[in-house]
Amino acid sequence: MELKICHMYPDVLNLYGDRGNVICLQQRLRWRGIESRVTRLPIGEKAPLADFDLVFIGGGQDFEQQVLLEDLHTGKDRDIRAAVEDGMPFLTICGGYQMLGHYYETYDGKRCDFIGALDLYTVGSKKRMIGNYKFQCAPESGGSLVVGFENHSGQTRLGSAVKPLGTVLAGFGNNGEDKTEGVRYRNVFGTYSHGPLLPKNPALCDFILRTALERKYGRAELSPLDDAAELAAHDEMAARIGAGVKK
Amino acid sequence: MKIRAFLAILLCRLLRGLSRLLHRGGTAMPGSWALRLCPNLLEWLAKDLKILAITGTNGKTTSARMIEEAFAKQGLRYLANRSGANLASGIVTELVMNADLRGRSRKEYAVIECDEAAARTVFGQIKPRVIVVTNLFRDQLDRYGEVTHTLENIRAAIQGAPEAVLCLNADCSLTASLALDLPNPVRWFGLEKGAVPSRPLPEISDATHCIRCKTAYEYDYVSYGHLGGFRCPACGYRRHKADVAVTAVPEQGMDGSSVVLELDGEKVLARVNLPAVYNIYNAVGAVAGVTAMGLPLQTAVEALASFSCGFGRMEQFPLGKAGAKMMLVKNPAGCNQVIDFLQQVQEDFLLVVCLNDRAADGTDISWIWDADFEGLKSLERRMKQVIVSGDRALDMRVRIKYAGISDEKIRVERDYHRLVDWAAQQELPVFLMPTYTAMLELRQAVVHKVGGAEFWEK
Repeated sequence: MELKICHMYPDVLNLYGDRGNVICLQQRLRWRGIESRVTRLPIGEKAPLADFDLVFIGGGQDFEQQVLLEDLHTGKDRDIRAAVEDGMPFLTICGGYQMLGHYYETYDGKRCDFIGALDLYTVGSKKRMIGNYKFQCAPESGGSLVVGFENHSGQTRLGSAVKPLGTVLAGFGNNGEDKTEGVRYRNVFGTYSHGPLLPKNPALCDFILRTALERKYGRAELSPLDDAAELAAHDEMAARIGAGVKK
Repeated sequence: MKIRAFLAILLCRLLRGLSRLLHRGGTAMPGSWALRLCPNLLEWLAKDLKILAITGTNGKTTSARMIEEAFAKQGLRYLANRSGANLASGIVTELVMNADLRGRSRKEYAVIECDEAAARTVFGQIKPRVIVVTNLFRDQLDRYGEVTHTLENIRAAIQGAPEAVLCLNADCSLTASLALDLPNPVRWFGLEKGAVPSRPLPEISDATHCIRCKTAYEYDYVSYGHLGGFRCPACGYRRHKADVAVTAVPEQGMDGSSVVLELDGEKVLARVNLPAVYNIYNAVGAVAGVTAMGLPLQTAVEALASFSCGFGRMEQFPLGKAGAKMMLVKNPAGCNQVIDFLQQVQEDFLLVVCLNDRAADGTDISWIWDADFEGLKSLERRMKQVIVSGDRALDMRVRIKYAGISDEKIRVERDYHRLVDWAAQQELPVFLMPTYTAMLELRQAVVHKVGGAEFWEK
């Protein structure tokens, strides 16, 4: 078995340790004897998305956003929409997550069109939503408890065609108001969680790996790993957030 | 006004006296209260001082110590803020302690290390004659925001001091861009091509696209991080030739480097008293600053060989049979340099990594995944054990596990005194990698065990 992972825009969407997710996906496959290959797709480079089994997109700075949008509008936006509809598994974080939506509207009303692969939009706010947080994944996303670190000022609202990835237990999530966190649509997982997301949340990591393997091979058994280190870090942070100790 | 300043100075001295009675550092708290009483106290205290200020992401403290050593060798009467008291409050405290009650300084010169965010309020008030900007890297995103935001802060800070001579890192495309729209005279420093072996750009680079036109940079060589011979193929923005340059590095060892420095056509061989490439940058930046203040090159060069930084920056302790070296890490760029440095270790060794997530460390610890801990993998045979410690020890354990190091080799020890006792019993050299607040506590535990200066005495 082998998973081909596409890391989109590693050159500009790489804030907050997001590449830790790719490291985590690869290691958890390797420890199970499953091959993986990561293809980095920076700005200016193209590859047919259908050739991959899993696509990862991280978060980025405002500085490069314009370059990024120009590159998306060379046809990659169309490719991503098609791949999403085709059931390609995506994991997208923060800026990469917002980017899949319809648009981003800045606090002073300027609208920036995104790629519209998912029924959601984001509006900038004055408040920065920042800190350790936790959420419970919905049953269709495995139902695990996730701990992460969020840092965004955009408030994301989900449309009726998509579901949230989970429900916020402590922290802000999508917008700090409706308790939703992230998005699920077909095989797309979107979230505000840096941290990075996967290393301390092995259950969610394995759920995403299983989604990708099942799509490719029909069925997939993931052998159990010794997650003592991961779960210790997960549990300690979950308890710290729950106890209301410094966020 | 005068009475406010007088009262603020009085209050600051009283609080400092109290802190020392209670065996606290009192490096910043007194100044913080004084500033509340008299917000423009800095301007008042700095008006007769000839100031060299240092800012930038990495290397501020080490550069300041090099510069200070040169001032001392020259016999100047100077003051310097130390031990990381580099916000307005810490700077005010230091200035007050070197002035009389009317705010007249007893010193003529000052070496001021200034936090990148604090520079915005500080520089306009203290009007430095020379400003050294070491470099810009991503750092504590939760506190400083994006690196371009820090750049804007520094730009605004320098606008408050339009007469100051800027010493800029020519190899850092972010830092160098300050010269594009500031009127200040500029003195460039950097490493020439071939001075150190060129390396590939790191997977995570903080400046991939042109700051002016957003085209991807091309590089003639890379010294480390995004530092090197950059140029933009579209708009022509490129590395400026360095006025103060390192042209060759004949020797890089565990305790220091030998470098060939070139300034105005004059070439000298210099010894840098600390190892690793990032300290060569600190050295050449310090030489640029010192000579911009009008001191002779020879004084600057001698200072590089004799200064001691201490305070957790490649600081050596007689702990255990083979000694321990403390190497402060604060962000991915600095951490990568330390991991790089470990590659030079030829013998078996032990590694301790202490990760905290307090305000001064950055509450977001995800940067440890931007740092290339994968570099430890090639050391696994010589690295006999890794101890993780600090508030976020468990996250560090996961990071090192995913870097490919066997979890069986990793041990969690959160008690610094037990950690230091363990280190004291070891036969192998111990390398300690703490983040900032972890360094303060760990260093105190080490000093308690083996002796050494308290932090405010360094």
